[in-house]
Amino acid sequence: MSFYNQLHIDKGAIERFNPYYCNLESSLTDPIIINGQEFINLASNNYLGLASDERVKEAMINAIKRYGASMCGTPIATGYVDILKKVEERLSKFIGLEDTAIFPSCYQANLGLFSSIVNDKDLIIVDHYAHASLIQGIRLTGCKVKPFLHNDTAHLEKVLQKSSDYQNIFVVTESVFSTEGSLAPFEKIVNLCENYHAIAVVDDSHGIGVIGKSGRGILEEKGIVDFQGIYTASLGKALANSGGIISGKKELIEFLRYSCSSLIYSTALPPAVIGGIDKVLDIIEEDFESIAARMWRYKRLISECLQGCGLKLAEGTAPITSIIGGSLENTIAIAEILFENHILPTPFVPPSVPPNQGKVRLIAGADLKETTMEKVLGIFKEVRF
Amino acid sequence: MNLEERVLAIVKENLEVEAEVSLETDLRKDLEIDSLGLILITTGIEDEFSITIKNTELSDINTVADIVKKIITIQQEINICH
Ligand SMILES: Cc1ncc(COP(=O)(O)O)c(C=O)c1O
Repeated sequence: MSFYNQLHIDKGAIERFNPYYCNLESSLTDPIIINGQEFINLASNNYLGLASDERVKEAMINAIKRYGASMCGTPIATGYVDILKKVEERLSKFIGLEDTAIFPSCYQANLGLFSSIVNDKDLIIVDHYAHASLIQGIRLTGCKVKPFLHNDTAHLEKVLQKSSDYQNIFVVTESVFSTEGSLAPFEKIVNLCENYHAIAVVDDSHGIGVIGKSGRGILEEKGIVDFQGIYTASLGKALANSGGIISGKKELIEFLRYSCSSLIYSTALPPAVIGGIDKVLDIIEEDFESIAARMWRYKRLISECLQGCGLKLAEGTAPITSIIGGSLENTIAIAEILFENHILPTPFVPPSVPPNQGKVRLIAGADLKETTMEKVLGIFKEVRF
Repeated sequence: MNLEERVLAIVKENLEVEAEVSLETDLRKDLEIDSLGLILITTGIEDEFSITIKNTELSDINTVADIVKKIITIQQEINICH
């Protein structure tokens, strides 16, 4: 068989109706346009609804006018434009950590982090259901890896008790597990790390700009001060742009700036995106409470309505509602029903979730109109899942 | 507890959901565990028996009985080396 014929992928359950790679023809407005038709967007990670905000767009345009399309260089070369430095400092302050490095994406941040800082005398203990980017990054190190049962601190402690002969121990988790919306018991994980001299690593991609009283993410949410560990997050979700960060102690970030190849050898984020993040931080600092109130209200309305319809939902506390689809076929079928009713969901099937634990995720951004929400609830009550 | 019972107990302790497990249970086919799920189980075994199962040896393990066999082989190798 020729090489290209070997690349066949069995699309099986998505041969007839394929919910992936939808062709969006609009920005993330309410409604969005797919194949010329209006849809209600419950699929994006645009939690605060700022991706199409006029103020953000204007800030991005101004950044382009000042700095052009790209700095055409990696951060270590000509990519480290002054607003990149400014936004790194702002993000550090926002999260409550000493220093931050901005990467082109959080996937790259997670991929590059571990091989820069870990050696073969170290141990990485990781939540079984951690994001693919963390797992890939960990696998690149070749060091000893011990998973712990998902969000199970008793099991984590047991693993820590049996792990003494290592130079450094890292405990890796996400803050919000995005397929189900569950929150990690991160305050307990931090305590365990202190007790067993381990370093906590948290990916707060779905927490930053979402949880915590003023949207500062998992550390604020759990009241963790003077965090001694390592923090990563995506800037492409609530912060409505793109890019990723690693934050933590000054020594760590300075080390990464000169050692982390996924940072050093990749073109820096374009200035427009940095300008956009800067503006989103302004908006969050000024207006988080009222925007978040809408986001949480929409989540509650959707969850209560679907429960009322007899659907089984994942028990998440984040502003995510996930319908438990179970089998691959049933998960895709639920997504299809929503799609036919012009609601765009995100179906998760293996390997994104464990086998037979398919989920259909719904995220209602705070920019959705009240009338849109009424329409959504009406559709949920009408259709037969 | 004999060896088999100890192994069965560790496998069960290291599953995300409760399941019936016997020596014949195929971890991937019957329990549908993923690659990290298998490492969860094998690290539980390593810690309990103070042995090391190399990553390259994971492909030898399909059923719970295979884990038992693996432990016996590794323990024999340790005895020969000593
Ligand atoms: C938990 C988590 N980490 C990392 C990423 C990757 O972030 P990015 O899109 O910035 O590469 C995602 C999703 O995209 C995520 O959900």
